[in-house]
Amino acid sequence: MSYLHSEKAGIVSTGVRHVGDVVVRWLPLLIVTGLWELASGWVVVETVLPPPLDVLIIAVDLVVSGQIVGDLLVSLWRIIWGLSLAIGVGVVLGVTMARVDPIEDFFGVFMSLIYPLPKTALVPLAVLWLGSGSGTAILVVFLACLLPIVLNSYNAAESVDQNLVWSAKMMGTSDRDMFRRVVVPAAIPEIITGIRQAVPIAFVALVSAELIAANRGIGYRILSYGQLGIYESMLAVIVVISLAAYVGVRGFERIERRVLVWT
Amino acid sequence: MNEGRVIASNVEKVYRSERTPTTAIEDLSFEVGDGEFFSVVGPSGCGKSTLLYLIAGFLDVTSGMITVNDHAVEGPGTDRGVVFQDYALFPWKTVMGNVTYGLAENGVPKDERRETAQHFIDTMGLDGFEDTYPKELSGGMKQRVGLARTLAYDPKILLMDEPFGALDQPLREALQDNLLDIWRELGKTVVFITHDVEEAVYLSERVLIMTRHPGTRKQVIDIDLDRTQDREAIITSEEFTETKNEVWRSLREETKHTV
Amino acid sequence: MDVTNIARISRHDVVEGAKSIYSLILLIALWELITQAGLIHYYFLPPLSDVLIEGYELTVSGEMIQASLLTLKRAFLGLLIATVLGVPIGILIARNRFVGWFFDPIITIGYPVPIISLIPVFMLWFGIGDVSKIILVGVGTFWPIAINARNSARAVNQNLIWSARMMGTPKRNLVWKVVVPDAAPGVLTGIQIALPLSLIITFVFEMVAGGGGLGHLEIQGVRSFTSTQTYATLIAIMLIGFVLDGTLRKIRRRLLRWA
Repeated sequence: MSYLHSEKAGIVSTGVRHVGDVVVRWLPLLIVTGLWELASGWVVVETVLPPPLDVLIIAVDLVVSGQIVGDLLVSLWRIIWGLSLAIGVGVVLGVTMARVDPIEDFFGVFMSLIYPLPKTALVPLAVLWLGSGSGTAILVVFLACLLPIVLNSYNAAESVDQNLVWSAKMMGTSDRDMFRRVVVPAAIPEIITGIRQAVPIAFVALVSAELIAANRGIGYRILSYGQLGIYESMLAVIVVISLAAYVGVRGFERIERRVLVWT
Repeated sequence: MNEGRVIASNVEKVYRSERTPTTAIEDLSFEVGDGEFFSVVGPSGCGKSTLLYLIAGFLDVTSGMITVNDHAVEGPGTDRGVVFQDYALFPWKTVMGNVTYGLAENGVPKDERRETAQHFIDTMGLDGFEDTYPKELSGGMKQRVGLARTLAYDPKILLMDEPFGALDQPLREALQDNLLDIWRELGKTVVFITHDVEEAVYLSERVLIMTRHPGTRKQVIDIDLDRTQDREAIITSEEFTETKNEVWRSLREETKHTV
Repeated sequence: MDVTNIARISRHDVVEGAKSIYSLILLIALWELITQAGLIHYYFLPPLSDVLIEGYELTVSGEMIQASLLTLKRAFLGLLIATVLGVPIGILIARNRFVGWFFDPIITIGYPVPIISLIPVFMLWFGIGDVSKIILVGVGTFWPIAINARNSARAVNQNLIWSARMMGTPKRNLVWKVVVPDAAPGVLTGIQIALPLSLIITFVFEMVAGGGGLGHLEIQGVRSFTSTQTYATLIAIMLIGFVLDGTLRKIRRRLLRWA
């Protein structure tokens, strides 16, 4: 993205150029949307491929009128719970696995068993235990996000610079405090990377669970609009969830940069 | 007319980045004769490497001109061969594959390719490593491959960008002597970039000292050493020490400004 | 850093081979003990022995094998389409201004779309059959493959390109001779990331739309209250995932011996 990337402009003349750059940069998207608009009704029936403008208007309407806000909040609630649980359990598990050998011996084998498992295969298991509803979705998000967080925390804590530990010891940090005062702070950047990797996974897991077993939430709403034949609304909800995912990932990156100013 | 003359006249190189253009080289002129060993030294950031890449044709001059055998440089050509500091070997090719690459690109038939490559592999003391991949070689070995592959396709001019900078002292000395033997035997023109004054004086017939930022010609010093002697005799000789000090003093005036 | 910067596959010895498996044996024993003692409802957790018997029966009857083949066919064909399109497009994005200009914003917008949410759309557009599933897998795995190809083609060492140029490689051959081989490890990483994704998409599609396959078989167990079938399928999926992951890693080692 380097060559078309423009910097924040300060002066008027560069400001104008900046606007031009933005237009040039996003023009391809406009072209694709234009083609879609053309295709809709001409090449494909409008019910099957609704025009993008209609979809956008409905997307805005669904949010503004509050029709979808309930589902959005439910989904958000599930994803936050699932992700928080995964972070809580995953970081503790990963870091202790790296520093305490018996813990690693105990959990290592499960990690290597779960690692190559495509995580959506866990949805039926969650349904089996918890039926359909929030519990299932939270469990699926939790399980799907757990591994990247554990692995990154493990790697982070495992590779803490030994010189840091030694110099802390030299300056009088006790073994008991070492963990809290040196190992964890030193591992934080990589732990956060693991969490960032987990955010998009969380969205995939959430939508999977909601498509298969839910009677509320964004995924459920997409499916039910589809079954009812209200295709504009179905696409509109997808636009909304994509936006939410985009904001989620971008937002997390921003937080990451803010938190890790010292790296 | 297969000669290796390089002439730079009033060369200027400006990098146009996002906003502020940076002048790397300004009004630089010099001449390197056919078969000459010519070194360029200067403080870091003086545009030595830029100069080399301009001669190689990887970069374009902003104004002025560089000619090789009276032809203006317009892009890379097989009359010039660069030896990079980071070796720049193709990691997916074996030693043999790297050395034969240039020959293959120039339409040399397969048998002949192998034969020529083998010769230079042997010259550089790499025999036995023909089927080894670069990642399995030490830095010194990699640079031997870098030299071998450049020599193999027989450019008239060798352009060397701090080629031994990353190596430790004994290895560096061995490769320096290797290079001198090759230079004498094959009669190549060598343009050698370094920040090591001793290396420059030991190897070359003339040294160009560049000023710091923007880089331009400060001084060219002739080096007159009795090259029939061995390394130890040369570096302990009075001429060597004197020339070294002269280059060093000139260079020091430049670095002083930076601190 | 942008959203589309896919990290390397992070893993450690911890997933490559556990040091000890006593905990697994302990868990299995505990599982069998608790379930045989009737401490937990059969539907929630049937004894492992029953699960294994169910798995055996499903395999002997051919049901499991057929479902596996169906799922693998869908995942692989989708992955194949994504690779054939994604690798060249990704490399072109990096090396060609126009292609880069066109696709970069599309990737920025398209990549974060949770691909699973398109299942109902694909059911509308292409039905619930194989074609629909294969296309969705293709679309979903296109992004990581193209993005990894793009990022690694962008990161190609400039000195390698210059090396090839000086040895006589014409500009139009650079992509093939330098960019593709140098980007190969990154491209393969993209495919390694896409492989589990292809299965993830296939499973959910099969669970939502039916039409056979492992995802269907697994969810069917839940819906027909034969939880042994769900557990048996899950174990089969785990084995398949294990084998595929290992195979891909082996292929990588074989292909990229030099890296």
